[in-house]
Amino acid sequence: MRIKEHPILTFEEKPKLEFIYDGKKVSGYEGDTIASALHAIGVKTLSHSIHLKRPRGFYCAIGNCASCNMIVDGKPNIRTCVTLLKEGMVVKTQTNKGDLYD
Amino acid sequence: MKANIVIIGAGISGAGIAYNLAKKGMEGIVVFEASYLTSGATGRCGAGIRQQWSSKMNCILAKKSVDFFETAQEVLDYPRSIEFKQEGYLIVATTEEEDLQFNENVKLQQSLGIPARKCTKEEALKIVPHLNKDAFISAAFCPTDGHLNPFTTTEAYYLAAKKLGVKFFFNESVTKIIVKDKKIEKVITNKREVITNKVVNAAGGYSKEVGDLAGIDIPVYSENHEILVTEPIENIQGPMVISFSLNIYCQQVPHGSFIMGRSTPNQVKGHNIGSTHEFLDEMAKTAVHILPPLGELRVVRQWGGSYNNSPDRQPIISDTSELPGFYMACGFSGHGFMFAPMTGLLLSEMIMGEITSIDIKELHIDRFKNSRTTTYERNVV
Repeated sequence: MRIKEHPILTFEEKPKLEFIYDGKKVSGYEGDTIASALHAIGVKTLSHSIHLKRPRGFYCAIGNCASCNMIVDGKPNIRTCVTLLKEGMVVKTQTNKGDLYD
Repeated sequence: MKANIVIIGAGISGAGIAYNLAKKGMEGIVVFEASYLTSGATGRCGAGIRQQWSSKMNCILAKKSVDFFETAQEVLDYPRSIEFKQEGYLIVATTEEEDLQFNENVKLQQSLGIPARKCTKEEALKIVPHLNKDAFISAAFCPTDGHLNPFTTTEAYYLAAKKLGVKFFFNESVTKIIVKDKKIEKVITNKREVITNKVVNAAGGYSKEVGDLAGIDIPVYSENHEILVTEPIENIQGPMVISFSLNIYCQQVPHGSFIMGRSTPNQVKGHNIGSTHEFLDEMAKTAVHILPPLGELRVVRQWGGSYNNSPDRQPIISDTSELPGFYMACGFSGHGFMFAPMTGLLLSEMIMGEITSIDIKELHIDRFKNSRTTTYERNVV
């Protein structure tokens, strides 16, 4: 979901950025964070709780809560809510605490 | 209120002493804690369990404590996990002097039944592959050293002691110890008076002040030591990695976080337990120098806690000739948590008038009198 019309603000269309999410080719826009791009295409589950593996989604949105941690370009525990999307990024769902040597 | 004995402090030492006394059949044991369970040095410690010491007494205390920890979960009948992880301590040597010293240490440790051994650089890199190979020359390793959760371990002692009838009072500080004709008469807290003739000083960072309440001058002082903890990741490091010359200890706990600490050079004496950015800076530099991949991790928290230092960095587990009925377990110099099973056992034996399991003359407070020579413990971070 994206806000396209707003009574006060205007949103100019920015260049499209393609990236890989769990093996699928998807896209967002320049200026997106990874989490906002995923949210816009309907991805609500970003990580899973450590013990019970229950779904965790977009929560604090300011890089504090670890709810949006994902593997980005091979690096685990990336806070996708405060990391800007880049063309060609490979984003993967993380299923554990993070392997330092993946 | 009347008590057969008052224990001051509910860290692991106080809880352990209470448990051991109750197990020996003593009744009327009361423990006063100025704050909450493990609020002092126990709950702030680096959670390491080490047997690789340079002094014989420390080696024996540590070895016998590890023997207990191996069975503690069952013996104390604790429903949760004390998280005992025995994957060793790897102590790296960075200078030739240290390398030679480690030969001596390992010889002493082996003679006391501690399974420590010297390692070449290659062997050490097999044990901890992400060590910086240029940061050290050799190492010493003891596979039965490790980690314990200080909170659950102390709670295990606390619950076991309570089950045996020990009464704990939290948020209650001892303000006076009334002594008359070389005899303890009363302990006064901020809430009550207790008639007793025995007191145990297990007050950790505040043991000097508790000694002063009874007119006993204990040659210890407190000093802030800082620690930090990182975010958790999947397990990559079994042993605690430690270096005396680089001034670091660093271990991955079962939860996945790395806990690391170092001592602050020229630290001022006192009860400050604050955190500093200087520590964060130096700690991060040292950790990344010796264990480079840790640079990828975020720090989630830092804190400080008191080392209660004795002149020779060995504990004082002792009674005193000046005031019969006054006992102390203090001056652990940063290692009270890992020695706690022996602290509890030895002090309870002394209080019950039994012959102690090991000869602890060398841990008596009188060793500092008349400038008698004592063994200085060098293996301290």
